[in-house]
Amino acid sequence: MQRTNYLARKVLFRAITLVVVIIFNFFLFRILPGDPVKSIARSPRLTREVREQLMVDFGLDKPVWINIDALKKGNILGGLDTQFTAYFQELMKGNLGVSYRSRRDVAEVLQERVGRTVLLVAGGEIIALIFGVTLGLIAAWRRDTRLDTSILLSALFFWAFPTFFLGIILLILAGGHLPIGGMVTPGLKPVDGWKYWIDVGEHLILPTLTMAIIYTSSYVMIMRSSVLEVLSEDYILTAKAKGMNTFQILRDHALKNAMLPIVTIVALNLGYIVGGAIQVETVFSWPGIGRLMYDSVTQRDYPMMQGIFLILAISVITANLMADLLYSILDPRVRAE
Amino acid sequence: MNQVKEIWSGFQKNPMGILGFLMLLFVVIVAVFAPLLAPYDPDVQIDVEPGDILAPPDSEHLLGRDDAGKDVLSQLIYGARVSLTVGFTASFMSLFFGTTVGLVSGYYGGKIGNWLMRVVDFLMVIPSLPLMLVIISLWGRGLWKIIFVIGLLGWTSIARLVRSQVVSIKERKFVERARAIGASNFRIILRHVLPQVIPIVLTVAILDISGAIIAESSLSFLGLGDPTLTSWGMMLNFAFERGLSRRAWWFLLPPGFAIVWVSMGLVLLGRTLEDIVNPRLETHHLFDANRMLSLFVGEQSKREQKKENVILGVRNLSVSYLLDDETELQAVEDLSFNLKKGSILGLVGESGCGKTTAMLSVLRLLPAAGRITSGEILYKDKDLLKISEQEMREYRGNDISLVYQGAMNALNPVRKVGDQIAESIMLHGKRTERKSTEHRVRELLERVGISPALANQYPHQYSGGMRQRAMIAMALSCSPDILITDEPTTALDVMIQAQILDLLQDLQKDLGLSIIMVTHNLGVVAEICDEVLVMYCGKTAEYASVDTIYNDPQHPYTQRLLEAFPDIDKPNSDLATIPGSPPPLDMLPTGCRFEPRCHCKLDYCGDKTPKLKRVGPDHYVACHLVE
Repeated sequence: MQRTNYLARKVLFRAITLVVVIIFNFFLFRILPGDPVKSIARSPRLTREVREQLMVDFGLDKPVWINIDALKKGNILGGLDTQFTAYFQELMKGNLGVSYRSRRDVAEVLQERVGRTVLLVAGGEIIALIFGVTLGLIAAWRRDTRLDTSILLSALFFWAFPTFFLGIILLILAGGHLPIGGMVTPGLKPVDGWKYWIDVGEHLILPTLTMAIIYTSSYVMIMRSSVLEVLSEDYILTAKAKGMNTFQILRDHALKNAMLPIVTIVALNLGYIVGGAIQVETVFSWPGIGRLMYDSVTQRDYPMMQGIFLILAISVITANLMADLLYSILDPRVRAE
Repeated sequence: MNQVKEIWSGFQKNPMGILGFLMLLFVVIVAVFAPLLAPYDPDVQIDVEPGDILAPPDSEHLLGRDDAGKDVLSQLIYGARVSLTVGFTASFMSLFFGTTVGLVSGYYGGKIGNWLMRVVDFLMVIPSLPLMLVIISLWGRGLWKIIFVIGLLGWTSIARLVRSQVVSIKERKFVERARAIGASNFRIILRHVLPQVIPIVLTVAILDISGAIIAESSLSFLGLGDPTLTSWGMMLNFAFERGLSRRAWWFLLPPGFAIVWVSMGLVLLGRTLEDIVNPRLETHHLFDANRMLSLFVGEQSKREQKKENVILGVRNLSVSYLLDDETELQAVEDLSFNLKKGSILGLVGESGCGKTTAMLSVLRLLPAAGRITSGEILYKDKDLLKISEQEMREYRGNDISLVYQGAMNALNPVRKVGDQIAESIMLHGKRTERKSTEHRVRELLERVGISPALANQYPHQYSGGMRQRAMIAMALSCSPDILITDEPTTALDVMIQAQILDLLQDLQKDLGLSIIMVTHNLGVVAEICDEVLVMYCGKTAEYASVDTIYNDPQHPYTQRLLEAFPDIDKPNSDLATIPGSPPPLDMLPTGCRFEPRCHCKLDYCGDKTPKLKRVGPDHYVACHLVE
């Protein structure tokens, strides 16, 4: 009962956030100079038919927020006939506009790219979690020993790295031994089966490693302070008084409790991680959403940028919702809130 | 002023912080004196010939030349200015926004506060780098626009931190006092709240500077830097686009490591300050458990052989705490007692008398700084101080159990109570099958008066009294011989206290349990104990049977303790209190430790330490009055 309340509140808040993001996205591309939506329609690169279709789709002849003309005529519903409602309707249909450059449907391009970025981010994240949690646990347990100091200092060192620069360094170091750019050796196709996938895997190593190192460093620090806190709790003394050994205590009492804050932080971190993905994909020419963002920025491809930003924001919000759900399963106290 | 001193002295002890500060100072000096330090004008191409493009380092250009033939070292030196400007201004902006929002939201709370926090929550899930990219590419590239955007997106974490700080400060005495005398809210915030928040916020702001510098470099690397300025990120952009294929490491590595250098310096500095401003506990429960015995040199017992029915004999136990500056504080000195089989021994004294330390020593569960310096702890003829940690674990929870005060956090909040009890049973191999273990858990819960159906609940669903009962059930789970209870009834209301005591007494009778009960409540002692040991400042003051203690107390401290306890037979008599409190361990008086508070001291009490004397059958007193 209480848990349902908690979840309902969370779902509601995330849903509101999502709506706000959608409005924000619309607003952002209209308030800043350049008025990109109008320029889509004016773009000489588009054929006349596409341009006219866009004018209709985006209702560019209509007012932005409120249709005062219609209201004056007493047509209340007509007052809502605006660019904003048109944007919203198109969005619901999955129409994110057409790219300036490639003239392709933005949603279609995103669909094609999103899986590749997920592959990269998920790989990096999983490795970072495994190493971050383990090293953080060890550092906290061996607090103030030489081992702790070296783990902490290396974490701080890599934490000070801009993601793209670490990528460049790895690229220089591994050049010649591992593929340093692209997703697959030109010529190989998915029909080549396992050969294709092994090649993709080789291309994944460096970008994934870059992400993994950067995020390991922040998880180490978070986990270390989390474990330090848990280890000074009374229930650790209880466990010791039961006769449990250090390993059993760390495994059965410290790990789960210390991992709880990590769940939320992983989701919140996703916002930074997609930022990292943009840099890593740029350095390694990995053809995912991040590289697409870089290309659209350099080409001033506004519809594409708008679509990417929306998809990234939605993913982060969804991830946060999932973290809320997971948290409520893991932490019995949340249900009592 | 005091705070500044404190931070400074903490700082001096921490080489990492000093290193970070020096690293940052170096960059600041380079940035300030850039025109003097740079060998060339970074923006000017001097006599560029085709061979000068990406020319490797030589004696004229120590870091070689870039893709336009310009001197890399000079660009690097001037780049420090851009990075520091961005870092400091953007984080100052975040600091200003974040502190304002956090103060307002935390201080006023209510609807405005909640709405502001909703905005913060909203902004926190927006991916910041993509948003910066979108804004800058729509708005146009420029240093101040970049600073503005970074500052605007960086304040949310500061707002959260300030809010949580303010919420806790708001409730404190000095703020309430200021409010009571009619100070305006604005004045309270400015004079009372802000100064408390500033140190912790500043440390976060230092970490923020490094975040801003990295953000600027990422934007520049992605081609959105200010085109009129040469920042480190911009150099990396050019170096990556045009220098990588020519292997121009002199162009690529220096700006990258410059960023790493400055943000490493900031992080070291920031974390050091954080540790000083917001110190953590020095240690934790798993901290180097074995070190305790490494310093221990066992002494042979001088006492005669123990009696037949003694189950636990403590002989001449001394325990010290070792401080950071190597000074030793003696918490327990020369403590001896016998726990008879099936009896209850009360260990009484005010807080800070070494009772808990002594009991933790029996189980060898002292915190890391604790050292048992001498003595013997004999359980069934075995000296528990001479066995390995591994052997000791076999005894803990199995033969000797501990229930300590404040059961609030004594149970792991995220695991079911039943599972936590079962854990102990399985650990010592009392049951191996799941079914029979569960059966035993239900049996135990029933024994301590908790419905077995509640085994599947979590600690927060239990009341305080139930949690304490669950702890007792856990302690009994392996049918131990000895139960040590450390103030098991503090923080519980009187009804529950009585129930728990009844339970302990029943258990002692039914299971033949021997119990050591640490308490400062003499009523409890009178009700259930067989023998009493009164401790003061780590030493035995008086040790006798409960009847002797109540009817013939010899030590002034015992007498005072008894007077301070309400007597039902004399309801109208005034309750006496003992003036003063036990001295801290580093200020122990010479001679008799109770002398400064004693009401019947002799001339030499302050000089001569009284020895523990036998004054009757099984009655020991350490006082000059009985000599």
